[in-house]
Amino acid sequence: MSENAAFTCIGCPIGCPLQLTHEGREILEIEGHQCNRGAKYARQEFTDPRRGMSTTVRIEGARWARLPVKVTKPIPKNRVIEAARIIHGVVVQAPVKVGDVVLRNLLGEEGVDVIATRSM
Amino acid sequence: MLGRLQNRYDVVVVGGGPAGLAAAIGARDAGAGRCLVVDREPEAGGILLQCIHSGFGLHHFKEELTGPEYAQRFFEQALEHDIDVVPESYVSGIGIDSDGTRRVRVLNETRGLHTVDCRSVVLAMGCRERTRGAIRIPGTRPAGVLTAGLAQKFVNLMGYLPGRRVAILGSGDIGLIMARRLVLEGCEVVGVFELMPYSNGLTRNVVQCLDDFGIPLHLSTTVTAIEGRDRVSAIHVAPMGPDGRPDLQRQRRVECDTLLLSIGLIPENELSASLGIDLDLVTRGPRVSSTLETSLPGVFACGNVLHVHDLVDFVTGEALRAGRHAGEHAQGIRMARDNITLVAGDNVRYCVPHTLSTGREHTIFMRCKEPMKPCEIVVGDRMRKRLSFVVPAEMIMFTIKPDALEGYHEDTLRIDIRPLEGAGRRATDAAGQGGAA
Repeated sequence: MSENAAFTCIGCPIGCPLQLTHEGREILEIEGHQCNRGAKYARQEFTDPRRGMSTTVRIEGARWARLPVKVTKPIPKNRVIEAARIIHGVVVQAPVKVGDVVLRNLLGEEGVDVIATRSM
Repeated sequence: MLGRLQNRYDVVVVGGGPAGLAAAIGARDAGAGRCLVVDREPEAGGILLQCIHSGFGLHHFKEELTGPEYAQRFFEQALEHDIDVVPESYVSGIGIDSDGTRRVRVLNETRGLHTVDCRSVVLAMGCRERTRGAIRIPGTRPAGVLTAGLAQKFVNLMGYLPGRRVAILGSGDIGLIMARRLVLEGCEVVGVFELMPYSNGLTRNVVQCLDDFGIPLHLSTTVTAIEGRDRVSAIHVAPMGPDGRPDLQRQRRVECDTLLLSIGLIPENELSASLGIDLDLVTRGPRVSSTLETSLPGVFACGNVLHVHDLVDFVTGEALRAGRHAGEHAQGIRMARDNITLVAGDNVRYCVPHTLSTGREHTIFMRCKEPMKPCEIVVGDRMRKRLSFVVPAEMIMFTIKPDALEGYHEDTLRIDIRPLEGAGRRATDAAGQGGAA
């Protein structure tokens, strides 16, 4: 018995409406995409939806109160808010260089770091 | 911070955001000697510094960067190009001497009033947000009503939360991005309300910023009143009726302590107006020639002060060109005057630049009035370009090749966007480009 899942592609501003047909965890068909990114996105979104994330952490001794940071790899979509809570516990001291790691192995995922996106 | 400030420059750039920095770099690349960037903030970089989300640079750098990362690359380039940047300074006026020298009056707390002589000026002051007063929302005047970009500065640079329970009016990209941002910071976003029947932001932002976090988007709905004595306690919202006014019979009350407004941007042209520069009533920016020169010779304009862009990458491209022309002008290079005036025709809200000349390649930026798909850009009898779709929220960019205008003797050239029947599904390349501004 096959079922359907619907997604909107975020690969570019066209935003193709994607329909994915599956039986259990097995993908049978992907429709609605105008390019390969759409098919790839639907597959990823169905099997393991992930998102990039940027936020800020507290910085002391700098021009501004917050230092912008981002995760180096996409993290599971349903853990984005949890990840933000963890990152918001970090406090750094100026000076910081763009690319400096402020937190390693976020959510226990090997190789997912939180890095500064500017120098301050 | 006090930057180096000399008395004489080839090119002075007003504003140190992405447009200003790229213009100065463009001027230096064109061979201009000394270049100065004057910025009113404590550091250059403009609004990019508070746009901590990703989505910038896909066109210019072919990789996805956050706003601060994009700005950082331009600081480094400005440094390599030996460009002077003076922060915390205002340009209070520009005078013109009989010999063509421009005298730029720079106001700074430490230095007082300093006059800088130069050959060319680039206006790159950017834009500002429309506020409550612009759309006259009825109700009391409590604290807690602020623009989305100001809230972004509070949250991302200064470390303040604007409130706890937030409603957002306007579904432009800044509003959508702030909805997600506030959820990540622990706020509750009760909804985004949009007057139009479609979102004014990119679809990917609706998906990533609202759908991912279960934030409702109410289309064809607007805020009809603000309630609260000292602080916002609620807003009233109503769906739009068929007469184009909110249907107050179906008005409802939404409790919140904050209302963010993401209702449009206005190019900041007080300085341009004070110089007597001709402004376009639609873009609210200067009217410019194909070299991005305003009606005042030797004064150029680029970025959001010229017309509001949705991608910083497009700002960079435009500003590099404006800077290049300003740099050439400073060295005494003069182009032939434009001989064709562009006319915005069917479904074209505006196009920039305003005039063209034959024999050169031109980059045209324009916006449509209404969404349309599939369609075709028709440039007089000279050129046609198919697009899979156009929406007002997305700027259209295309080039007119030099040979397209060969032998064109009319004074005006009309651009229309026309519906295309029976077009295939494949997208052509002018629209449909990635990146969230």
